[in-house]
Amino acid sequence: MADGEFLALADDRRFRLLRTRFRRLALTVVGSFLGWYFLYIALSAFARDFMARPAIGNVNVALLLGVLQFASTFLLAWRYTWYASRKLDPLSAQLRAEAEQRRAEFERLERVLAERRRIENWTPQPRPRARHRRVRARGDQ
Amino acid sequence: MIGGRVLTFGLFVTFILITLAITVWARRNTRGADDFYAGGRAFSGVQNGLALAGDYMSAASFLGIAGIIALSGYDGFLYSIGFLVAWLLTLLLVELMRNAGRFTMADVLSYRARRQPKVRTAAAVSTVTVSVFYLVAQMVGAGALVSLLLGVSGTAAKVVTIAGVGVVMIFYVMFGGMKGTTWVQIIKAVLLMGGTVVLTVLVLARFGFNLSDMLGAAADASGRSGFLQPGQKFGREVAGDLVRTVVNKLDFISLALALVLGTAGLPHIVSRFFTVPDARAARTSVNWAIGLVGIFYLMTLALGFGATALVGQRAIVAQDPGGNTAALQLAHVVGKAVAGPLGGDVLLAFIGAVAFATILAVVSGLVLASSTSLAHDYFGHVLMLGRPRESQEVAVARFAAFLVGSLAIVLAVVARNLNVAFLVALAFAMAASANLPAIVLSLFWKRFNTSGVVAGVYGGLLGSLLLVIFSPVVSGKVDPVTGTSLSLLPAGIDFHVFPLENPGLVSIPFGFLCAVAGTLLSRERPDPRRFEELSVRSLTGAGSVGRRSK
Repeated sequence: MADGEFLALADDRRFRLLRTRFRRLALTVVGSFLGWYFLYIALSAFARDFMARPAIGNVNVALLLGVLQFASTFLLAWRYTWYASRKLDPLSAQLRAEAEQRRAEFERLERVLAERRRIENWTPQPRPRARHRRVRARGDQ
Repeated sequence: MIGGRVLTFGLFVTFILITLAITVWARRNTRGADDFYAGGRAFSGVQNGLALAGDYMSAASFLGIAGIIALSGYDGFLYSIGFLVAWLLTLLLVELMRNAGRFTMADVLSYRARRQPKVRTAAAVSTVTVSVFYLVAQMVGAGALVSLLLGVSGTAAKVVTIAGVGVVMIFYVMFGGMKGTTWVQIIKAVLLMGGTVVLTVLVLARFGFNLSDMLGAAADASGRSGFLQPGQKFGREVAGDLVRTVVNKLDFISLALALVLGTAGLPHIVSRFFTVPDARAARTSVNWAIGLVGIFYLMTLALGFGATALVGQRAIVAQDPGGNTAALQLAHVVGKAVAGPLGGDVLLAFIGAVAFATILAVVSGLVLASSTSLAHDYFGHVLMLGRPRESQEVAVARFAAFLVGSLAIVLAVVARNLNVAFLVALAFAMAASANLPAIVLSLFWKRFNTSGVVAGVYGGLLGSLLLVIFSPVVSGKVDPVTGTSLSLLPAGIDFHVFPLENPGLVSIPFGFLCAVAGTLLSRERPDPRRFEELSVRSLTGAGSVGRRSK
């Protein structure tokens, strides 16, 4: 694979938008879940009286908040996926399609150029003697 | 009881036979590196989600957490929460890594590095170290569990069980590769979810599906006030000893940090990012894993508190002081209540087989991840300078699986009588301290370079390892009443200088610090174009390896 073949995309306005959106989304998700998780851990460590308060029957605040951690994880995962499929995926699909198209075009040109070089550099040569069993393809790749 | 053991043994054998048949099938369909390392990237998001959950939910969580909740109440549930919440970080990283890598974490780390071999070596060292620690914990647990279920005891029985589990695990990986191992994980995940749901429903049914009643019964049976509140196990408050109290609380926060940051750097989880055709499927699979893992860990509440209420702490401790048999005893009691003695035996045998499948699946995932890293990163990119023959590399991977597996067997046999449960938390702490800084900074920090990766990985790894060696886990913790050792080493030996049992609170920042310092102190200037290229590739998926690309 050629080095830097996707570099052109880095300056594309749509890519910059995609990157900004992803970073903002990632920071929001990380900030909210880590903040909420460590708030809960800190409450478990330092606010024991608060955590011990009964909430519903024998379910106390600690258990309730613990189950809420599950709910918030599900909710955040769902929101992330929802946002990503609406705001990130279309952009990245578009950019990817263009990049691959450009690569295909580039490879086609390379082939054409190689073919042309071969024709231009052609000189008549004595025919090599046929050698048997040497043309077998190697097992790999 | 004898009939029950025969049934248990029969179920073990059935599970092994079925999975071995799958392994043989997978062997016939495994041709190149893509097949061996990544199952041909042909698994669907749902399948891979099940397999991720299968890789993740170890016996330590199934039996271990149920036991801790049963004995320490609410605090055991904190493990469940940490283990689940961590997946959000994985969800954010999975697509980027799937897009930018091929088979291993090192593919992502080395993309921008000017000196690839150094990065590859560091990644392989870290992968194998984390996996082996985790493996030993699981296999020692397997030895204890299987001897208990089959009613055999003594050194010989334990050694034979550990070796047996090890041989089957090596066989899965050597012959089945990622294809075989993934199917083992899927079957295991279905069995584990099924078994846990059945058990949970039966337990809740005993309390008329009233959660509050179950909790009340558990609190009463425990005979302790505060059984449903934080503080029974973690962050204990010692009256009159402020230092001790603060240390205990910091230790608890340290554990929470390692749990939540470790998952995204666990090698056997990362290697599963590459078994799907594209990044979207990878996202789907993590979402499925979140759903399954979440439901599973919620059910640990019913298993743990149910065991306290229905089995009783005295009976649990009599079987195993660590509480690892609580879920099994619960199965026996609940089954008996529903369908008489026969029902008890059947349910115990079934849950026992589920636990056995759990152990086998997790250990084979770990062996596969380390052999992939040894063959692809170390052999392929360091020894062969990135130009190995594919068939050669896969052969090396198979041999590496044999080596890592054998090493794990030997270590587990040596450690068979030690209390090695701390190794699981240590593996998480190591993954968070060594792998996570390197992954995050590679993806997001423009200035990051080879020295940064190398310093971060070795710094995080050594940091967490040394902190544990000099912690009360290894030496110097004695029971104040009886004077017996609670550490790895016998009482009387005491060289502990670090007060916390969980290194995460220090070692994770230290890993990040090493990565940053290593970068800034070296004269190597990274190529900014490689960074741009990596961010284009990781965000758009341009040029990523798809299904059947060669």
